[in-house]
Amino acid sequence: MNRINQKLQEDKKLLSIYFTAGYPHINDTVSIIEDLEKNGVDMIEIGLPFSDPLADGPTIQASSTQALKNGMTTDVLFDQLKDIRKSVNIPLIIMGYFNPMFQYGVETFCQKCQEIGIDGLIIPDLPVDVYHEEYQAIFEKYGLINVFLITPQTSDERIRYIDSISNGFIYMVSSASTTGAQSGFGDEQTQYFERIAKMNLKNPQIIGFGISNNQTFTQATQYAKGAIIGSAFVKHVTNDGIKNIKNFVDTILN
Amino acid sequence: MKLKVCGMKYQDNIEHVAALQPDYLGFIFYEKSARHFDTECILDLPKSIKKTGVFVDADIDFVIEKINKHNLQAVQLHGKESSKYCKQLKSESVEIIKVFSIKDEFDFSVLNPYEGIVDYFLFDTKGKLPGGNGYTFDWNVLNNYPSTTPFLLSGGIGLNQIDDIKKFQRSKASKYCYALDVNSKFEIEPGLKNIEDIKKFKNNLISKIMNYNVNEKGYYGEFGGAFIPEMLYPNVEELRQNYLKVMAEPDFKKEFDQLLKDYVGRPSPLYFAKRLSHKYNTKIYLKREDLNHTGAHKINNTIGQILMAKRLGKTRIIAETGAGQHGVATATVCALMGLECIVYMGEIDIARQAPNVARMKMLGAKVVPALSGSRTLKDATNEAIRDWINNPVNTHYIIGSAIGPHPYPDMVTRFQAVISEEIKWQLKEQTGKKNPDYVVACIGGGSNAAGTYYHYLHEENVGIIAVEAAGLGVDSGESAATSVLGKEGIIHGCKTLLMQTADGQITEPYSISAGLDYPGVGPMHAHLCKTGRAEFIAITDDDAMKAGLKLCELEGIIPAIESSHALAIFEQKTFNPDDVVVLSLSGRGDKDLQNYIDYFKI
Repeated sequence: MNRINQKLQEDKKLLSIYFTAGYPHINDTVSIIEDLEKNGVDMIEIGLPFSDPLADGPTIQASSTQALKNGMTTDVLFDQLKDIRKSVNIPLIIMGYFNPMFQYGVETFCQKCQEIGIDGLIIPDLPVDVYHEEYQAIFEKYGLINVFLITPQTSDERIRYIDSISNGFIYMVSSASTTGAQSGFGDEQTQYFERIAKMNLKNPQIIGFGISNNQTFTQATQYAKGAIIGSAFVKHVTNDGIKNIKNFVDTILN
Repeated sequence: MKLKVCGMKYQDNIEHVAALQPDYLGFIFYEKSARHFDTECILDLPKSIKKTGVFVDADIDFVIEKINKHNLQAVQLHGKESSKYCKQLKSESVEIIKVFSIKDEFDFSVLNPYEGIVDYFLFDTKGKLPGGNGYTFDWNVLNNYPSTTPFLLSGGIGLNQIDDIKKFQRSKASKYCYALDVNSKFEIEPGLKNIEDIKKFKNNLISKIMNYNVNEKGYYGEFGGAFIPEMLYPNVEELRQNYLKVMAEPDFKKEFDQLLKDYVGRPSPLYFAKRLSHKYNTKIYLKREDLNHTGAHKINNTIGQILMAKRLGKTRIIAETGAGQHGVATATVCALMGLECIVYMGEIDIARQAPNVARMKMLGAKVVPALSGSRTLKDATNEAIRDWINNPVNTHYIIGSAIGPHPYPDMVTRFQAVISEEIKWQLKEQTGKKNPDYVVACIGGGSNAAGTYYHYLHEENVGIIAVEAAGLGVDSGESAATSVLGKEGIIHGCKTLLMQTADGQITEPYSISAGLDYPGVGPMHAHLCKTGRAEFIAITDDDAMKAGLKLCELEGIIPAIESSHALAIFEQKTFNPDDVVVLSLSGRGDKDLQNYIDYFKI
């Protein structure tokens, strides 16, 4: 069974952390992953940096720009991760934009992911239909779970459609925004969380965008299987470097 | 689909076929062939035609000798040449076309060793001799084509196959079909081609077989689509479901036409540039988009989109701008309609385009600097898209070029199509001619070009010329010639040709003209380029500036530097004296005055 599916079966609320590969320094990737696992994180999204990250706010954009300046490329990332499964057991997901994967060759990219032990992909600008028609067979051939996003504006009909094509979890974007834009959740968002929870989807949901501390994590996981933190963690390594990851994770979970 | 004419032999005949501008001409270097090319040298052909040498199990040194002697750009291998052989030839920097013959069935696994080495496969009919047997094979075999390497379709293709090709072109099997290869069905005798028949075939290709318009899924051939994050799906979907309906409403049309007439000042004149024509010994007509309100074609689109936004109940307008022309055109229509206007502009562009920033502010727009990435047009576009993600309900995004996710390229093209709609009747009125011989426009994202070509896309005798910015030179590293430097990829929501690193990161283009300084082209243009329907010409900064000044001197018109690029083609390409060439003069040069002053030290 795919590690993502296994993890989703555990009887606990899941904390998933996003970081940008190659940031703050080119060779921080493996150490960040190992530290996150050691400190109780359940799942990791490894950000493959892109020059034009449309769905991201200023924090992740800036980290991506810096990572590219540091020399991060698809090949470099794969090389850094080649032995990752010797030390890390939790699910690993690569999150990135479609163009770099397209240039790498979608099939070669997927094959490489399988070799390394990547469990899934999140590609915000690969639309569901295109995935379904052109790439689903390839992803499945290499045992990869593709994760789709839904937003407060996504219609019920489309959510059902996305649910039918998903086989891991659904990434629930907390509000109409790019990453990192929120400071807390209001009524509108909790109503949206409730609405989705009541839909009884076949895939569990994990909430992302705007989760930054224990309060928002607790709030989100009241309605969903887990929550994803991205910008807040990227900010943390910007300010504190990669030595104090334990502190960061502790403040979220406790 | 591109066109390759193979088996050329006689000098005069070659010249006549070349005049029809096929994409490839094939010369057979195989003594046993009746079309064996044994003339000393191939005459000079236009750069747009690739000279292809055809070989059958020839010694590799023989092939290399022919490549160098005749300056071949492609090599077509008809024998049992191995993948290793192909790889070795690849280092001669020629395109490699490997031929496979098909009878009733085909084992596609034989292609595997050649994948990633050859540029194209060519499938022809299995016969006694390699090539030139005059029979077609069952093209349905290609339904199982497992590869993504583009291929040429060959074997017995003639005028009788037009309907079959049309059917094939709409089938799945043609997805990777790159070109049609014709030979024996167009001959008076082996090696001597029937010019009239080839002309007829090429015309049919343009008018009957190919579709250059967008399809129902939002694609132009393989380009286009809507590669957008889910957050944008409702916005784009709302537009997709409504744009054609709204544009067809009589009220909408009436209001649009009225504003174009009374507010923009349309129709813009079609002006016969007598002194310019005299200088270049051809007939040049300028479509005067520079005389529109706000000084360029941009306003055609913003008028259309602001009316669309109002119909959709939007109250807040956002836009991106590079040099500020589209920003000004957007701010203008927002003032006209009393809607809130936010324009994203790269921080660097804000600094170098102060007058347009002031204009937008006077017109009531808020100009927001894009501080991310390279802080130019590409990043301004990213910021506008991010704004739209954050304001999905009340906001309409007016994209300024024929780019972005479907339906934007098509919608913008349709609003700009007024340009060619007018050219049609104006030309008829002035010359009695139905069509020009050529339409010419400069291309950044490509909205003025899309509008200039629109009504001629399927007109068989109209040549389409697209002029890109070569910057300091196509190979200088400082260029915006996307058709040459770009690769298929995804930018700002659509699949198109774009300039990028090997790793898929989008790169910064360069041109002296801010309006052409974009790393991609609209998906329609990518399709016109890939299919060979349009001829792409790249013009350097220097040549454009000189052509701009020439127009001032000869016609008393100061053109925008973008339009100067289009004007520069007359120095590069020779037209016949009685050719009618219509060129879109997309904008006026007022905004570029400082650039002209600095460049010419005026």
